[in-house]
Amino acid sequence: MSSLSSSLAIASQALQAQELEIQVTNNNIANVNTAGYTRETVNLAEADPTQAGSLSVGNGVEIQGIQSVRDELLSLRIQQQTSQQSSAEAQVNALTQIESLFPTTGTSLSSSLTSFFSSLSALSANPTNAADRQTAIESAQTVVNQFNSISQGLTGPTSTLDTTVKTDVAQVNQLSAQAASLNLELVQQQAAGQNTGTISDQLNQVETQLAGLTNISVTHNGQGDSIITGSGTPLVLGTQSYALSTQTGSDGHQQVLDSNGADITSSITSGDIGGTLQVRDTQIPAILNSLDTLANQFATSFNAAQAQGYDQNGAVGAALFTIPGTVAGSAAGIALATTDPTKIAASSDGSSGSNGNVANLTAIQNTVLASGQSVTTQSSNLVYQVGSLTANATSQSTSLGQSITALTNQQGSISGVSIDQESANLIQYQQAYEAAAKVVNTIQSLFETTINMLVTN
Amino acid sequence: MRFNPNINAAVLNDIQQSEQNVQTAYQQVSTGQRVNAASDDPAAAAALVQLQAQAASVDQYTANAEAVLSQAQTADSTLTSVVSQLNQAITLGTEGANGTNSATNRQTLAADVQSILTSVVGLANTSYQGVSLFGGTVSGQAAFVADPASATGYTYTGNSGINQISVGDSLTVQANIPGSTLFTNPNASVLGALSNLATALKTGKSADVATATTQITAALNYVTEQHTVYGNTINQLNSQETYLSQETVTLTSRESSLVGIDSATAAENLAQAETANSAVLAASAKVIQTSLLNYLQ
Repeated sequence: MSSLSSSLAIASQALQAQELEIQVTNNNIANVNTAGYTRETVNLAEADPTQAGSLSVGNGVEIQGIQSVRDELLSLRIQQQTSQQSSAEAQVNALTQIESLFPTTGTSLSSSLTSFFSSLSALSANPTNAADRQTAIESAQTVVNQFNSISQGLTGPTSTLDTTVKTDVAQVNQLSAQAASLNLELVQQQAAGQNTGTISDQLNQVETQLAGLTNISVTHNGQGDSIITGSGTPLVLGTQSYALSTQTGSDGHQQVLDSNGADITSSITSGDIGGTLQVRDTQIPAILNSLDTLANQFATSFNAAQAQGYDQNGAVGAALFTIPGTVAGSAAGIALATTDPTKIAASSDGSSGSNGNVANLTAIQNTVLASGQSVTTQSSNLVYQVGSLTANATSQSTSLGQSITALTNQQGSISGVSIDQESANLIQYQQAYEAAAKVVNTIQSLFETTINMLVTN
Repeated sequence: MRFNPNINAAVLNDIQQSEQNVQTAYQQVSTGQRVNAASDDPAAAAALVQLQAQAASVDQYTANAEAVLSQAQTADSTLTSVVSQLNQAITLGTEGANGTNSATNRQTLAADVQSILTSVVGLANTSYQGVSLFGGTVSGQAAFVADPASATGYTYTGNSGINQISVGDSLTVQANIPGSTLFTNPNASVLGALSNLATALKTGKSADVATATTQITAALNYVTEQHTVYGNTINQLNSQETYLSQETVTLTSRESSLVGIDSATAAENLAQAETANSAVLAASAKVIQTSLLNYLQ
């Protein structure tokens, strides 16, 4: 049976519902600029009606809960792309430094090689000219310096990259621990039937940060989120987190170990750690190998050409460069065997004025060496190699950045707080609240009428 | 369809992108280069390295050609003097072969021929920038030194080495003719003929004088023949220098078409980037400040 007091109960429920709406709106507005915040809405439903004979009378509004508006799939996509973008970004940062070792203008390896061969060619006009010989020996020194300093410039960043791996791993561990404790809270709140939106937002943020460091895969289950890195190494399972560690490997570089101490370095393929490892273990060694090959073959064939001739004093040409026996380390180890300008073997017959061997010396520049390429081609290929690695990483980073922007935009269109929407809602809720209050007011006056009826009788 | 209400991130991204474009355009205008780092265009940067190497070779060939040219010109003019000295010796020999000459006269003629011999040796010892022009590939010493034991009074101290100098990828020119070929060739020895003439004039036999004069004529012909070697070298070098300077122009223009940007395009790009940038900024200023609240009272 409907009564005034049940109407009052409906009105007070309505007031509560509008209050909650206003509070959620308020919370949305307050968090409009909070990173990772997902807008919330109140789920309202009609209360079960009361049966009065053949009448079914509505029983007002019922608050079912507060819900965050999110798209889980988008979050996962964003995490994935973030991983790849961080990897590309890490490569761009390291490669840009390396690229500056191969400038297109000014003194470079290729320009110093070219000057060296030019200075040798100048000897052909006057093989005994002391100034020309001095220039040639100084150019040789410049070539050696270029090889040494580029080799150093390539190996220098690897120690920085090792440090990056170490600090990144520490950060991964911290975030994993954070995710595990958030999982615990999530489970507890779920058990208590509370709104888990805030915890989920935080968990999502932590996961995106983790994705920026390493490749992860996230699965949602009853125990919160499971986070796996590499090829199946757990970081977080339920409320338990598993710490990674680093150790110096046999090659002197930092390796990443899982919680059982197994080496998982090669399975980390993206994120900042993945990109850093890619540069450290693949790209720099490849460039260094090209450089070492060039240094080794250049020095070996030049020394051989020296031996075909005679120096200014009539002695058989001695090696001008000293070079390590192995290709690896050649660029770092190449040095001038002598700084005596008379030791350049220009002569082909032992007489000091002969230039007969200059042609053999200068031929090294454009003759195909053991690698199948000439000195000039090899040094130009080196520039191409470095340039294309950098260009690829840059364009990858740019396109992934665009894709992340698009995804974030899409996510924002679902989960972002709109001030306009909230303002409009606020007006709506205000009016609903006022209407409900009016109902209370009306019922109050009806009660008064009823009481007055009793008094007057 | 709900739109993303927080466009700030996207707006900032657009602004950054547009500012990046302005910077790139500015850099291209200020350097005149489209490729400022290897990653701007790896293939062009690699090709540039090869072009630069080629250009440096061409520069060096030009320098070599210039050096050889002056050396060859010096040798050429030296040989011209030798030729005129030999012509004079022939005149003296012809005069000495005439039987009516007195003994005193012949002695005077002999002394004249002797002094021609000395001056020819002097010419044969010409050096250019410390290099003895006719000493083969021996350096730091005169080609001929006085030697009383020798029939001519002089000995060749050089060698028979010939230097070839590269002035092109596949072009070399001969830089010198050894003195042993030019002046003491067994078949037409300049020094031998002059010394023979002097001796013949001293001893006074007309027939010997005539024979010696014929030898000088033969030597003169031989020197003239060798003279043309230098002439050829000089011609070759002149045409090679012209070719090399054209090559330099070609290489420079290839270089600039490879990595350069023409200033009109660069300026236009910059203007375009700047306009786009102002547009983005102006648009951003408009879209990020309005909301429903501006209109609610």
